[in-house]
Amino acid sequence: MRLAIHHLTRIEGHAHLVVDADRGEVTACRLEIVESPRFFEAILVGRHHRDVAPLVSRICGVCSNSHTLVSLAATEAALGVAVSEQTRDLRRLLACGEILQSHLLHLFFMAAPDYLDLDSIFPLDRRRRDLLTRALRMKKVGNDLCRVVGGRPVHPVTPRVGGFSAVPEPADLHGLRRRLVAMLPDLEAAVDLVGGFDFPRLDRPAECLSLGGDDGYPLMGDRIVSSAGPETPVGAYREVIEEYLVDHATAKFARTPRGAYRVGPLARTTNAFGALTPMAARVADALGLGPGATNPYQTVVARLVETVHWVEEAILLIDRLLIRGVVAEPPVEASGPGRAVAAIEAPRGLLIHEYAYDDQGRVVAADCVIPTAQNLASVEADLRASVPGFLDLPRPELARRLEMLVRAYDPCVSCSTHLLSVSFEDGGGAG
Amino acid sequence: MADRRVLPEPLWLPATEVEIHRLVRAAMTAYEVVGARERRGRLTMDRLDDPSDLLLSYPPRVHSPKKFLFPNWEKLFRFRLGGRVQLEAEHTAVPRVLFGLHPCDLHAVRILDDCLFDGQADSAYRAKREASILVGVDCEPDDHCFCTSLGTDRVADGFDLFLHRDADRYLVQVGTARGRSFLERFAPAVAARQGAPPLPLQPKKTRKRLARPAEALVGLLEAGYEHPIWTEIGDRCLGCGTCTLLCPSCYCFTVEDRLHLDLEGGERVRAWDSCQFDQFAQLSGGGEARANQADRQRHRFFRKYKYLWERYHRTACVGCGRCSRECLAGIDPVDVLNRLLAEQDEAAPAPAPGREYQPDLAEVVVAEPLGAGVKRLRLRLPRVPAFAPGTFVSVSVFGLGEAPFTIASGPGDDTHVELAVRAAGNLSRALHRLEPGDTVGVRGPFGNGFPVDELAGQDVLLVAGGLGLVILRSLLLAVLSRRREFGRVVLLYGAASPDAFLFRDDLRRWRQDGVIDVRLIVDGSDGGWCGPHGDVTRLLRNLDLDFPRTVAAVSGPADMYRFTNPLLTGLGISPERIFLNLERRMKCGLGKCGKCRINDLCVCEEGPVLRYSQVRHLREAVER
Amino acid sequence: MKLRAGFFDFTGCEGCQLTVLNLEDAFFDLAGLIDVVEFREVLTGGGGPLDVAFVEGSICGPHEEARLKDVRRRSRLLVALGACADTTGVNALARFRDPEDLNGRVYGPGAPPRGGGRPKPVSAVVPVDARVPGCPVDGGEFLQVLQALAVGRAPNLPGHAVCVECKLAELPCVFDRGEVCLGPIVRAGCGARCPEGGDRCRGCRGLVDNPRSTPYYRILEDHGLTEDDVLAEFRLFNLGEGKVR
Repeated sequence: MRLAIHHLTRIEGHAHLVVDADRGEVTACRLEIVESPRFFEAILVGRHHRDVAPLVSRICGVCSNSHTLVSLAATEAALGVAVSEQTRDLRRLLACGEILQSHLLHLFFMAAPDYLDLDSIFPLDRRRRDLLTRALRMKKVGNDLCRVVGGRPVHPVTPRVGGFSAVPEPADLHGLRRRLVAMLPDLEAAVDLVGGFDFPRLDRPAECLSLGGDDGYPLMGDRIVSSAGPETPVGAYREVIEEYLVDHATAKFARTPRGAYRVGPLARTTNAFGALTPMAARVADALGLGPGATNPYQTVVARLVETVHWVEEAILLIDRLLIRGVVAEPPVEASGPGRAVAAIEAPRGLLIHEYAYDDQGRVVAADCVIPTAQNLASVEADLRASVPGFLDLPRPELARRLEMLVRAYDPCVSCSTHLLSVSFEDGGGAG
Repeated sequence: MADRRVLPEPLWLPATEVEIHRLVRAAMTAYEVVGARERRGRLTMDRLDDPSDLLLSYPPRVHSPKKFLFPNWEKLFRFRLGGRVQLEAEHTAVPRVLFGLHPCDLHAVRILDDCLFDGQADSAYRAKREASILVGVDCEPDDHCFCTSLGTDRVADGFDLFLHRDADRYLVQVGTARGRSFLERFAPAVAARQGAPPLPLQPKKTRKRLARPAEALVGLLEAGYEHPIWTEIGDRCLGCGTCTLLCPSCYCFTVEDRLHLDLEGGERVRAWDSCQFDQFAQLSGGGEARANQADRQRHRFFRKYKYLWERYHRTACVGCGRCSRECLAGIDPVDVLNRLLAEQDEAAPAPAPGREYQPDLAEVVVAEPLGAGVKRLRLRLPRVPAFAPGTFVSVSVFGLGEAPFTIASGPGDDTHVELAVRAAGNLSRALHRLEPGDTVGVRGPFGNGFPVDELAGQDVLLVAGGLGLVILRSLLLAVLSRRREFGRVVLLYGAASPDAFLFRDDLRRWRQDGVIDVRLIVDGSDGGWCGPHGDVTRLLRNLDLDFPRTVAAVSGPADMYRFTNPLLTGLGISPERIFLNLERRMKCGLGKCGKCRINDLCVCEEGPVLRYSQVRHLREAVER
Repeated sequence: MKLRAGFFDFTGCEGCQLTVLNLEDAFFDLAGLIDVVEFREVLTGGGGPLDVAFVEGSICGPHEEARLKDVRRRSRLLVALGACADTTGVNALARFRDPEDLNGRVYGPGAPPRGGGRPKPVSAVVPVDARVPGCPVDGGEFLQVLQALAVGRAPNLPGHAVCVECKLAELPCVFDRGEVCLGPIVRAGCGARCPEGGDRCRGCRGLVDNPRSTPYYRILEDHGLTEDDVLAEFRLFNLGEGKVR
């Protein structure tokens, strides 16, 4: 039999799912990435470092802040620019805002309909207006964090090489803090909701990669931590991550020397469970998520746990910023040449940017490693592992379960195809 | 309602900077306080959340009070749809203090008042205007300010309070009763203080200046409508509208409906518009009234310096410099206007200040006695503009001054005029001392003379007493130059003595030629005179003229008119047809000095030749 | 009568769809105004006739063209949502590179081309009834366009330049910092968000109807910049083939 789902819904970007099975044996299982490539890295070549962040932001609307932040970090490292503590805190806050809005969008708009037996969240505007009101209110806080720090939620304006071109008003930060605190009842309702989800069972342990070297939970560390291997500095990411082409995708897949691996919420809770805030850890506990989770469907739970974690972190960050006082900082001059790698934990997982600049500060080469692309092999492996157990189900239910599995990763196909790497001249690149 | 009457007595109260900030803090309990402040590292005119944010000393870069008195996006009314349409008025205006407005901006508020209170007052503006207390503060002009050229660097009223800097304190000038009660309420200690003497205000200096006062601009633009400069600046202009949006007195707007998202209601709002935008002057049939940027820039200048001046007698520009300061294309009104002014000067080097008081130089060609202490002066000028008989020139002897003299010569000679001068005062005595070749100054001719064309086809009766013959001579020469167009011409001329008759040669010749009927009379008895004796009224008897179609021209001492007027009207000559010479002390000749006024009539403009019908009701004219 | 609305994404970052989803405050009003019957990113199902289709992204290759034409056939109104759909957006940058070179750089020299060829704006493939410019779109402007369509009025975009919004926000001129700003020739409606955030206008909303290019070039010259500088800047979000005119 063949099961083909074209243009998977409730994911970001375009992908087809194709499963071939013969007498209970899965013979083929592919996630076809059909989105047109946009050649971003090639487009970047020759651009001035000032223009890089605004350009790479357009790789993906959903994680535009992560692309911006990691490109700035890599560019600054390449050009020898040190940023202030205030800049670091504001950037963490911005990253926080994006994780919140992205996770909440996924939880309510993409994942929840599966578990509430709906095609979308829109019918809830009458039936469960309370729930939708809570969801929108929480999501708006995430967006407003981005708005206050970055100028707008999608494609931020203020972050730039060396710092920020505009900093938030203290009054706006106070307002956000109040709303973050007021989010707690809404989060409790979300925990109740997710607690009621009936996740399909799938037990597939996998290698998990996340960042390390942060003070706490992974966000912008300088080392890549593996659940199955040694730590690696991000600069040496090619030693652990190999990108490769497959025929059925315009995106590149990735593997470690040990094979397919996971990045994203489940990978992070697995690798850094102990760094969760106490409240987040309690939520994990209540929802049955532990450090040894192996069910990819539970990524939805990990996302909620992270949401709670970053709400708490955001409050602490704002407190720190307000206590120190937010001041406008003069722009920092940067000059080339230089070359560096930086990484961030985007909502969907490990995101790596690498740039080389000439002495005019113009891009010579660029490379971006996208979380969704890294997860593609793992998604296929999960599908392969789950199909035999589902083959007895009626076809629509089988299809639904497989879609839910893909969706649990919250794949961002826009990202994964819009970034394709350019060879580095010394031959060290993946292309 | 707030009392915005201007205080009868000036009130100046000293206050410290701390007290001013306390005043702001106290006022914030009852008012929204707006002032210059910094927000996100930039200056803005905005609502204050914290009184310590208020800047009292700030560069003139912020928005004007228009931002609050005539805001962009202002709700005019709300409507509800669904079922019957319902209209609801907008809420009343927020009580607000605009704290720390520069003098130019206070002037600009007056322009908004002019324009928006004119006719049916704009009630949305009025509501905000009346709910706003205006507190001015002194400023430092920057490189774009040219307020000193427009007299807007200082402000005498139009504010409730004004803060003058005085060394390390302020002097609060109280402008209105409302300002005083505001001060009493929120800064009682300051209000209770003994008034200080007003501060002598130092003139401000600006780098930018107009070459000429504002009143010169109306005529300048009038003449410059087709000037290529509009195309030049039109070609430079980006059409971004910054100049008008930031202008403190530009108020053009557009009106549109904003529907609520649920489509169940909405509001009609007005938003600032700009004559610089495409589609501002769009016509309903397509096309635009001012389709190119040159037309639009010209329109802006004409609005600012001409059209509104003609309506309200002040330029609609206050010289705040916002338009040039923020113009990316560098279009600067001072540069534009000064260039036009310079070109005008090149073309006609006239309007230097006081130019109209400066005479042309004239050479004395003839200076001869006419008898009875009267001297005839013939003057040569570069050019004598066309004039009517009966008008006058002002003659200067430099160092002694200037006096008016009616012209004795006829029109038609464009380089010479003749005067008959009796030595009466210092100046006329000096004129008597002149020799041919000497120089005097001459302005004019000024005034209104005899309407020679209107006299044509009629009998003309001239009645002269003494020196009064001078202007009648001018008229006679005009009549004689086209003698055939007139009916009978009779001159009745009385003098105190036979030797007091002026222009005897002329009289003799006219008599001999028979072109006019000359009748002379001498008042008093003199042995040598064989003609009639008595005053000139005697000659009015036994006239055989067709009086209903006769016009009379009468010139003599004021007393004479009292007798001649009733006689002439008695003869049947209507007052419209009696012309009187009512010379007074026409000092300036420009209708300004006020010395020649007969009641409210200005002789140098409307006279000196006036119809009896024009002046018979004026008590000061004849009847006095 | 609620409009049956669909959202469709082509080659783009989905940031405009996300901006629509970010209209949290207007969510319920929006739900009252339209029935979202097709929106792949957050909804399963669709395929029927539509009153209005919002199309995000540029159109690359025959597959996307066919899909777009199908949307056009099914929908009474079609709106280009965002810069990629409206003016090709950042995708336009790929138009100035050799496609084989691009493909080779990414997939290896001589690799068979993947993806669909040069990106086009939606209007190059099907007629467009309205457009919402910007990268990403402005949520408020999206609502206004939608509302205009709902009441049967032709949506009108601001005709003036970004400069206007800069001045209204009392922002200092970007040129004063010595940077090229496209504000004087680019359509307003964004609230001058980028200058406000300390950046410059990079032109994501496209040109005003009647850009004054001659005076603009003169100003660039005064600031020591060339036409190439501004074209490089302009092409970040616009095709800008030929001059900025």
